[in-house]
Amino acid sequence: MRTAAALLSVLFAAAGSLAAQHGSIGGQVVFGDYREVSADLHYRGSGGGVAASFTYKKLGIEGSLASVTYDPVAGSTATVSFKATQLDIRARYYITGPVSAEVGIVNRKAKPEFEAQSVGAIRAGVRMSYPLGPGVNMGLRGGMLFGSKFSGGGTVSGVGALELGLNMTVDAMKGRLRLTGDYDFQRIARTTGSGPGKANVPIQQALGRIGLAVAF
Amino acid sequence: MRHSVLLLPLLLLPAALGAQAVQNATLKRAQAAYDNLDYRQALTLAHTAQRERLNGFDKARMFELLAFTYGAMDSILQSMAAFKELINLEPERELDPNRTSPKVLSAFSVALTQVLVVRQLKVDSVDFVGGQGDVGIRYVVTQPARVVTRITGGAASIKIDSSVANGQVNLRWPARLANGDPVPTGTYTVVVEATIGQNSFSASQPIRVTQGAVDTLPHLLSLPGYEYLPETEIPPKSWKPMGLALVYSGIALAGTSALSSGDLGSASFREAGVIGGGLMAAGFVVMLRKPAPQPARGNILYNRLLREQLARRNAEIAQDNVRRRQQVALRVVPIRAGGGR
Repeated sequence: MRTAAALLSVLFAAAGSLAAQHGSIGGQVVFGDYREVSADLHYRGSGGGVAASFTYKKLGIEGSLASVTYDPVAGSTATVSFKATQLDIRARYYITGPVSAEVGIVNRKAKPEFEAQSVGAIRAGVRMSYPLGPGVNMGLRGGMLFGSKFSGGGTVSGVGALELGLNMTVDAMKGRLRLTGDYDFQRIARTTGSGPGKANVPIQQALGRIGLAVAF
Repeated sequence: MRHSVLLLPLLLLPAALGAQAVQNATLKRAQAAYDNLDYRQALTLAHTAQRERLNGFDKARMFELLAFTYGAMDSILQSMAAFKELINLEPERELDPNRTSPKVLSAFSVALTQVLVVRQLKVDSVDFVGGQGDVGIRYVVTQPARVVTRITGGAASIKIDSSVANGQVNLRWPARLANGDPVPTGTYTVVVEATIGQNSFSASQPIRVTQGAVDTLPHLLSLPGYEYLPETEIPPKSWKPMGLALVYSGIALAGTSALSSGDLGSASFREAGVIGGGLMAAGFVVMLRKPAPQPARGNILYNRLLREQLARRNAEIAQDNVRRRQQVALRVVPIRAGGGR
C-alpha cells in the first residue's frame, strides 16, 4: 500500500513536470544534392529518415538520422551511386527574442567508403525562430562546423565550413501531429596536401526533409 | 360675528372628548347644554359635577368643558385656570389650531407657560454600533426649571443630562454605561424630572434596548464601476506572416547562393525551393486566416491593478470584519407612549 502511494506520488510529480516539456518523434522523406571536388562530381538522391525533438523550458534538443541514396546526375563524371547516412544532433538554448544558440555534431558516412567523403564535425551557430501564426513556426539558422574530420583526410580553415538552414513546423490535430520541413545547406572548403601540392576539394550538400511527427 | 367665533370651540369639543365616553350624568348634561349654546347652564352643571366624585377622564373633560365655556363667554382668566387644571391632568393635551378659536388657543398657550410640565417626551427608534452612534431624546419643558434626565432599569441609574431648561430640549444618549460598555439588553425607562423650588414634574418613556452582532461586510468579487478587460485581443489581419516567410525563404536561397563554392558550379536551389515554397504557402494561409489572439499588455496591466485593488479592498474588509465581530449592535426602541406626573 505504501509502495503504491509512493508510486502514485512519483507519477503525479512526473506528470506535473511534464507539463513544461514538449517532444516529438516522426519520420521524414529526405532528398538532397551532393557535390564534391568539382562541378563534375554531382549527385542527387532521396531517402528516408527519422527525427526527434525534445524541449524543456529554454533548452531544446533535436536529433535526426537520414539515409540518402545519391545517384550521379546526368553529365556527372561519377559513375557509382553511394548511400550517405547522416546523423545530426543539435542542442539549443533560448537566449532572447527570436534568438537561440545551437551546438551539436554532424556525422555523415558514405557507402561505399571511397565514393564520397565521410565527415564528422562539431557545429555551433545561431537560430532565429518566429511564429507565423497559430501552430505555424519557422526558423532560420546559420553556423559553422569545427574540427571537421574526413575519411580521406584533409583540413578546413577556421571559417571554411559553413551551414545554413531553414525549417518550418505546422501543427495539426490540436498539436498532436506536426508537419515539418527542413532545409540544410552545408559547404565545407576542404583542402588536402600542403605547399605546392595543396588542393581544394570542397564538399557541398543541400538536404531537404519533409516529415510528419507525433508531438507529445 | 361673535356667535361665529363662539361656534368654533363648540365644534371642537366633541372631537376633543375622544373615543372614551363621559360617565358622570351631570357632566353629560353640562356637555349637552354647551352643545346647545346654553353656556350658563353648562357652567352651572359643570361646577355641580366638579363637586361630585369623578374619575380621571371625567375630571379632565369637566375642566376642558369649563375652559371652553369660559372662553366662549370671554372669561379668559377663568378659562386659563381651567386649562391649567386640564394640563396638570393631561400634560400632552394639544388643541387643534385650525378648529379652535384664537381666544381659547391663547388662553391655552398662556396656561401652558404657568404650569410646570414635561411634555412630548420622545425617544428615537434607532440601530447603531455601540460607541459609534447615539439615541435622540426630545421633550418640552413648559417653564424654566432644573431638568434631570436619567435612564433607570437594569443594574444602575444612568444620568444623561442635568441642566436648566425651558422649551424644546434635544439630547443625545450614546447608550453606554459609566465604564464605557454598551448598555446590556433589557427594558429601561427614560425619566425626565423638572423642578422649580417645591414644584416638580416628571415624565417617563420606557424603552427596549437589544444587543446584537454587528453585520460583517461581504468580500467583493469586483469593484463597482470597474470591469476586467479582455487580456487578449485579436490583431487585424496582416501580410506580415507571408512577408516574413518570403524574407526567410529569400535569405535561405540567397545564403545558399552566397555560400556555394564556385568550384562546384551553380548551387542547387531545389531543396531550398521546396522548403521555402512550403513556408511561403504556410505564410499565405496564415495571412488569410483569422489572426491568433495576442496578449493585450495594457489590459493585462489594468487587470493586474484591478486585482491588486480588489485584494487590497478585501484585505481592508477582512480587517474591518475582525473589528466588527468584536463590536455590539444596539437597537433602541420606545415601547409605548410615556406618561408624566
